[in-house]
Amino acid sequence: MKKELIELRVNSRSYELAVEPSKLLLDALRQDLQLTGSKRGCDDSSCGACTVQVDGVPMLSCTMLAASCERQEITTIEGVSGHGSLAAIQKAYGDWGGAQCGFCTPGFIMTVTHLLAENPRPTEEDIRGALSGNLCRCTGYSQMYQAIKAAIEAEQKGMAEAR
Amino acid sequence: MEEAVGYLAKHDLGIRVLAGGTDLIPSMRQGLFDSEHVLDIRHIGELRGIRPRPGNGVEIGALTTLAFIERADFLRRHYPVLTEAAATVASPLLRNMGTIGGNICLDTRCLWYNQSLTWRKGCGFCIKKDGDLCHVAPGGTKCWAAFSADTPPALLCLNAEVEIASASGVRRMRLSDFYTGEGDAYRKLQANELLTRVFLPESSADYRGVYRKLRIRGSIDYPLAGVAVAMKRSNGYVADARLAITAVNPAPLLVKGVTEMLEGKAVDEALAESVGVLAAKTAKPLTTSALTPEYRREMIRVFTKRAVMAVANGN
Amino acid sequence: MTDFSIIGKPIAMVDAAGKTTGSGKYTDDLNLPGMLVGRILHSPFPHARIKRIDTSRAAALDGVVAIVTGKDAPNPYGILPVGHDEHALALDKVRYVGDNVACVAAIDEATADQALELIDVEYEVLPAYFDPEESMKAEADLIHDNKPHNLEKDYHHVFGDPDKGFADADHVAEARFIANEVTHAAMEPHSTLAQFEIDSQTGKRGRLTVWSSTQVPYYLQHKLSLVLEMPMAQIRVIKPLVGGGFGGKSEVIPLEIIAAIAARAARAPVKITYTREEVFWAHRGRPRTIIDLKTCVKNDGRITAVKARVIQDGGAYCSYGVVTILYSGALLGALYDIPNIQYDGYRVLTNKPACGAMRGHGTVNVRFAFESQLDELAAKINLDPADIRQRNLLQPPCVTVNGLRVQSYGLPECIEKVVERSGWKQRKGKLPRSRGLGIACSHYVSGAANSIIRSDMPHSTVNIKIDRDGGVVVYTGASEIGQGSDTMTAQIAAETLGCSLGRVKIVAADTDLTPIDIGSYSSRVTFMAGNATLRAAEQVKKQIAAAAARKMSCAPEELIFRDDSVFRKNGHVGTAAFGRPAEQGSSASVSGRVEGQILRGSLQQKRKDEGPKDWMTFEEAVVAAIDFHGALTGTGSYAPPPEARGGKHKGGGVGPSPAYSYSAQVAEVSVDEETGEVTVHKVWAAHDCGRALNPVSVEGQIIGSVWMGMGQALTEEMVWKDGMLMNPGLLEYRSPSSVESPEVEPIIVESIDPEGPFGAKECSEGSLAATIPAIANAIYDAVGVRLHEVPFTPERVLAALRAQRGQKKINLTEGIDPTAPAKFREHGGSLWFRGKGPERHPLDPARREGPAEAAGGD
Repeated sequence: MKKELIELRVNSRSYELAVEPSKLLLDALRQDLQLTGSKRGCDDSSCGACTVQVDGVPMLSCTMLAASCERQEITTIEGVSGHGSLAAIQKAYGDWGGAQCGFCTPGFIMTVTHLLAENPRPTEEDIRGALSGNLCRCTGYSQMYQAIKAAIEAEQKGMAEAR
Repeated sequence: MEEAVGYLAKHDLGIRVLAGGTDLIPSMRQGLFDSEHVLDIRHIGELRGIRPRPGNGVEIGALTTLAFIERADFLRRHYPVLTEAAATVASPLLRNMGTIGGNICLDTRCLWYNQSLTWRKGCGFCIKKDGDLCHVAPGGTKCWAAFSADTPPALLCLNAEVEIASASGVRRMRLSDFYTGEGDAYRKLQANELLTRVFLPESSADYRGVYRKLRIRGSIDYPLAGVAVAMKRSNGYVADARLAITAVNPAPLLVKGVTEMLEGKAVDEALAESVGVLAAKTAKPLTTSALTPEYRREMIRVFTKRAVMAVANGN
Repeated sequence: MTDFSIIGKPIAMVDAAGKTTGSGKYTDDLNLPGMLVGRILHSPFPHARIKRIDTSRAAALDGVVAIVTGKDAPNPYGILPVGHDEHALALDKVRYVGDNVACVAAIDEATADQALELIDVEYEVLPAYFDPEESMKAEADLIHDNKPHNLEKDYHHVFGDPDKGFADADHVAEARFIANEVTHAAMEPHSTLAQFEIDSQTGKRGRLTVWSSTQVPYYLQHKLSLVLEMPMAQIRVIKPLVGGGFGGKSEVIPLEIIAAIAARAARAPVKITYTREEVFWAHRGRPRTIIDLKTCVKNDGRITAVKARVIQDGGAYCSYGVVTILYSGALLGALYDIPNIQYDGYRVLTNKPACGAMRGHGTVNVRFAFESQLDELAAKINLDPADIRQRNLLQPPCVTVNGLRVQSYGLPECIEKVVERSGWKQRKGKLPRSRGLGIACSHYVSGAANSIIRSDMPHSTVNIKIDRDGGVVVYTGASEIGQGSDTMTAQIAAETLGCSLGRVKIVAADTDLTPIDIGSYSSRVTFMAGNATLRAAEQVKKQIAAAAARKMSCAPEELIFRDDSVFRKNGHVGTAAFGRPAEQGSSASVSGRVEGQILRGSLQQKRKDEGPKDWMTFEEAVVAAIDFHGALTGTGSYAPPPEARGGKHKGGGVGPSPAYSYSAQVAEVSVDEETGEVTVHKVWAAHDCGRALNPVSVEGQIIGSVWMGMGQALTEEMVWKDGMLMNPGLLEYRSPSSVESPEVEPIIVESIDPEGPFGAKECSEGSLAATIPAIANAIYDAVGVRLHEVPFTPERVLAALRAQRGQKKINLTEGIDPTAPAKFREHGGSLWFRGKGPERHPLDPARREGPAEAAGGD
């Protein structure tokens, strides 16, 4: 298949890429941009390991064509901690056992950052519902809830201190 | 949009429409569609959004995402059966991507069909794709792949209509006429046509509604059986009611006779039970998915009974 | 009470940041210049002889670099020395749908996929066996010629006097239990990258480096050596981050060998990553198990005898099968005091992918049966299910009737704790209708006392190096797969050396750098690699202590190492010197001030002798030692003690362990009596892990095990029809999502094992087995039906409820759909169905040759 030139906005940077029109966004990120934080865990759009945000909304990058995402703002896990340090949610996932093997973790973080942006004080039921499109095989999810709650507290504390 | 239907006219058979992609892309990866071209309509803005038309119901653009529908206050207030059904589709991530048009057009599913090329080679293919044998109803020439979307039964209960556009113009049809009842050629949408809008009539507004879905896992799963009910009541009696089932036939079906059975009555267990028995008779599940057909038919009965009770009691 | 500074503290995993930022590299994230993509051709038949493979059309495709088949690597291998029955690519026969036939290495995936379709393989289809009990009757067309009746292995054990036990009993329960096949479904699909170097001396192909998602780098190195006929010294195996294993990466998986032979043929690096479907075919999960179980008790609840006949549907190759069938019998012991045991185990071959080791290897399905039956007996004699378990406790230290040595035994406390936390005594039997509580127990080995390679080699060896920078580098072959092995290693090293965690760097699982460790399986890492780490650290510490003691004019034994300081017992307790707190993460790279100067790594610094000190910083002590020796190194190893290695009977090598973990659980469920749907509301899980080295990790392992057990109990099942796996994907293989996953309350019980590192035992597997029967028993408590087949899908539960009430039956047979055709290969084994298909597949030979001919051929 003949390649075409597309322009992708990823983590606030623009990239010009030559890709087949059939190329999946996930493959463009992993192969063409070396952003390997987004993972491929299944082939039937069920697991959520490839989750990225497209214009701020979490979606499955394995179920989108790269060429279809032109002019949209894509955020991957690599774009979550911009300042050379961990974002509160990333730190909390580490501290509270939210990540074991870590393979599903980037996808979860992309889902969770969207949840917290929309709903800064989610109930446990909100959290469970929001996470239900991402599969994890290690944690049984429980420690993720603790991590998310801890991240919310840390953010609030951080904001209070900043004031 | 005109550009889009122009492409469809030009490529005719060799083109597939990509909206949310949640059905098309995994299926293409399994080699289920081998069209040369994909028409990406994701960015056609005019096909997105919910537009109430005072006195005339509401129009929903085909590209409106299921997540958007799930959270639309207008729909929740006036057409609750739809928001409830939309909220059960697959998972939050897939609802962020999947569209109402895509859900209506969703390909039928079968365990013998939704498999990789290597897998399908192993069983010698099936009648829906590349073969001429049905593995779930051997000897038959009919394809029994099950229609497994959640919102169409809700839309059927609301007497929804769909708008279909092609290079030669625009036509409207009742959603109940959209499906053929065949597992393979399951919808009446030509290759050069595009489903563009969904209309919910004013006459269906403010019906109470519930949707009940049989799934093994609390998220991600498509329905293994599904029941939608919309009901209008007056002074404790049923003024009007419609009930549709999904995932147990090659098409979502309005259950015939439900309106007559319920009209003018106060709903009680026994009545709900007899509606359940009627719905179960309409269901013809086969071994197209997990759980045995007999169990899925039985769940149509139970879920129908519960849905009717719930909607009558206002839950 | 021992006071630790790092052990027992909830700390973040040392590799957490790489995982949460996406910067950590898993095998599929790696790329090499000139790397090719490998794709594998799989068999469409469950059992067939390969008559001919013609790769010429595929080879002619532009972009195809190499094609390899079985002939390229004819040596058989297998994880067990007794089970060398596999070829990475089939040599003469394929034995399951999905068996590996050929591999194409090409410039990209699309080209490789296209080439696969151009490989022509001629098969002679053979009768296939799918049901183990049918397979055992086979006389001809055997799956492996040297295995009569398709029997991989059978064992017949009698311990004590079972017949007398039965005669002495007051009550007997007897039933058949079935546990269907489940798989690991780790989130990361297997991936391997292989590269050959050119040897500088010979100018020819030289060393091989393999990066792979493996739990067992050393075994992989060993099997690669065997198949590729290369010395092990010429092979380097590197384990990058691994995205979960659960046993699915605990043996050599075909792609690991295929990638190497493809790289050899292509003369270029080759990476192969399985599709999810291929992961299901590679599998090695928990076999479908049929358990005929008979248990007898006295009126007081004491168990007098157990008789178990277990048949495992092992699939087409041995894999870990011989070990699995032995574990199933051996682990009837060491949980309760059972005086008489009879065990008959059959590992049977069938034409399906091989089963192997999965979390709770061998014990889970039999434990489900046993704990269910014990519950039934408790009901018979009107005894509380928690009581009957307490009446059958072991009295350790002891050796069980089947030769298992038990020392630390936290089971009584586990039972007490879950009974208390769940409100068992107040709530059991008093819950609303269709809601219930169930209890069950389980245990597991902390590593096998006998390695699968019979030798006196230590099971784990660890090296530690400390240089002038004061950094502690630990070299371990133990494989971090998400369970926290690197963190455990760092904690033990830091605690032993009294240094901060930030000083410790782990180099794990690279066969060029790290000493041999047999890998991450059978829950052996904390106990064995942990002990080896402890010993290595103590060896280095001794050297530091000797030098520090000279400086401090005392005996080395008087010194205490703690919080980055070395001080004399009863002397000045000076920590946090120079304003450098001993907080975790305090960086070892920024060195402290010594006498007004910054002390840096390579510094050759003179210090004024100020006479004897009463304390030193860790770094000063290290430098003092290095001044005498150069860089400090220490080696520690672990081999299980002979007393823990079990009985002498045939098969007695499997089951013994230096220590066992214990678990007791209470599950609270409700059952929808009209739909059969089961909801698990909460599970209280107490686990005796010896000592919790890292409580957050331990709790994570307990919760994860319970959760995975719940998946097997309720939703997970590999469904087969005539050798075709009906659900080879994560959509249809239903691993639970967050919405239906219950709250799990983990309760840590610490029995402090006398031989474990700081008293620690395993915590990652033992809890799983109790969850399934706890749920089963809770269902019984809720609605009074005893379920005999796992998973408890709503239809099975409803069928049982209907049967109990004499209502209309739901048509069900054991996992097989009665309405489906018995045989779907009605086309007589021809790959391409004959007839007039509406839309023939483009690859159908009939279509290629033209429609007229196809029609005429009918």
